Amino acid sequence: MRRWTDFFILIAVLGAMIVLFGLMRDSFFSMGTLGTVANRIPALALVATGMTLVMVTGGIDLSVGSLLGFCGAVTGVLMADLHWGLVLAVLASVAVGAVIGSTTGAVSVKLRLPSFIVSLGMLEIARGLAFLTTNSQTKYIGADIEALGAPFGGLVISPAFVISLLVVAAGQVMLSQMAIGRHLIAIGANREAALVSGVSVDRPRLFAHALLGALTGLAAVFNCSRLGSADPNAGTGFELGAIAAVVVGGTSLMGGRGSVVKSFMGVLIIATLEAGLIQVGATEPVKRVVTGLVIVAAVLADTWRRK
Amino acid sequence: MLCAGLLSACKPSPSTSAPSGKPKVALVMKSLANEFFQTMAEGAKKHQAAHAGHYELIVNGIKNETDLAEQVGLVDQMVSQGVQAIVIAPADSKALVTVLKRAKEAGVLVINIDNKLDADALKQAGLSIPFVGPDNRAGAKAVGEVLAKKLKAGDEVAIIEGVTTAFNGQQRKAGFEDAMNAAGMKIVASQSGQWEMEKANGVAAGILAANPNVKALLCANDNMALGAAAAVQAAGKAGQVQIIGFDNIAALKPLLADGRVLATCDQHGDQLAVFGIEAALKVLKDKTTPADQQTPVDVIVK
Repeated sequence: MRRWTDFFILIAVLGAMIVLFGLMRDSFFSMGTLGTVANRIPALALVATGMTLVMVTGGIDLSVGSLLGFCGAVTGVLMADLHWGLVLAVLASVAVGAVIGSTTGAVSVKLRLPSFIVSLGMLEIARGLAFLTTNSQTKYIGADIEALGAPFGGLVISPAFVISLLVVAAGQVMLSQMAIGRHLIAIGANREAALVSGVSVDRPRLFAHALLGALTGLAAVFNCSRLGSADPNAGTGFELGAIAAVVVGGTSLMGGRGSVVKSFMGVLIIATLEAGLIQVGATEPVKRVVTGLVIVAAVLADTWRRK
Repeated sequence: MLCAGLLSACKPSPSTSAPSGKPKVALVMKSLANEFFQTMAEGAKKHQAAHAGHYELIVNGIKNETDLAEQVGLVDQMVSQGVQAIVIAPADSKALVTVLKRAKEAGVLVINIDNKLDADALKQAGLSIPFVGPDNRAGAKAVGEVLAKKLKAGDEVAIIEGVTTAFNGQQRKAGFEDAMNAAGMKIVASQSGQWEMEKANGVAAGILAANPNVKALLCANDNMALGAAAAVQAAGKAGQVQIIGFDNIAALKPLLADGRVLATCDQHGDQLAVFGIEAALKVLKDKTTPADQQTPVDVIVK
């Protein structure tokens, strides 16, 4: 029952934002805006999906923004400099993401270190690798990659958008219907109890980190497809957007509770907020302050409802 | 007699001058992770390699462009290493003045490149540091004039600014405004893309949706021009919205070639540090008083 209440509240917030921005700027109700938001969503949705799975265990990964930059850099070098095809480049980017994500996970899980700190280290490492890979240069890829992010037949829906919806759906099924999902939640809710009841606590967490890395690799390709180029600085601060979306969606930072679909609602809210603030002509400081306030308000609202 | 002459000639430089007699020049950069500064530093290293007999070069950069404390520390370290000259691209036009004053008092020649030190701050510190570099405002104006020829008076245009606190960003915005105002264009929006492709992409998409009649996007650097070009394409407005950039980075070439980006400005990034180093070497050699020096900017089309 409460699951649905949460869901309706998120929809109401989204609706209120759309109406508010619409009142402030007529042009907000347009295909252009819809296209902008739809274009922006895929990368954020993929990473938020993976992040939800990591965060329900009580973990976090701060390196996803840098990893997005690094995987994008790999994609850029492979396609622009070495002339690889799109499919191979996608596979390479996903593989690189999975390896880096697994590394963060393995160091944190096996050595019993907080994922917060390990991923903070990885944030620096991955950004350094992004600059090394590209020799700090933006790579222009062009038409070979743009098709992924371009809408079908001039509409607003791109292949990247469809794929990201499928991933969100699969993530939700995994978390709420499958054994692995129940284990992830059990680990986050009470690690000792999970141990006693015979749930393996290491492997599901490793899996969640690896999956987040792989999804970040795919997100990096989508990001490149939207821009037609790979920028080694891409994804700076991206982790904050992804974590904010997950938290706005009601996943607990302490673990034990979370929903991929609600994280997706969080993604919609963050993306709409971003597009709206640009259209009403907000300055950079205003954008930052408002975005920060929305995140804090979401966490507060969530805490109050649970008391 | 000769010895005394030598001694007095050496007086302005620190006592720890290079044993080889070659002057040591320190190049203190902003972030070497940034393509622009990377190119600048590589240009300097090539120049040194070609003139290895004339001077030694130490290149240092900071990790991120806003890490002022790190750059201040670098300047102090260079002074204590006993360099004869520091050529610096200051990460902030005011915050570096104090440490550069320390450097000058230690007898080190300081040359300012890239980001011009704030005139008032220099005056307050009672300091004169020559600036060797391009006029960003004039460059932006020149690119803006190329764009103005493609538009007609009264057309709506929008500016995508750099980081709003950066002097060169402010100068480029001012240059764009000069050109647009002179040609009678209407600037309907001006927002910061923070120098980043992705941010600029979002800003450009928003501006295009909010202002359907916008005919041109004036971007304060090429990375943002790339982001803007992708937004124009996504909005289905390819060919209807002109784009200009600044810097002439390699990744922009295909877009210039097929007209998605109309023009950009080349301030000869690979030579910017070299100009500064040459100015420093000349002052060290001739014992002249250093003066401001303007370096060339060229408009690039196709």
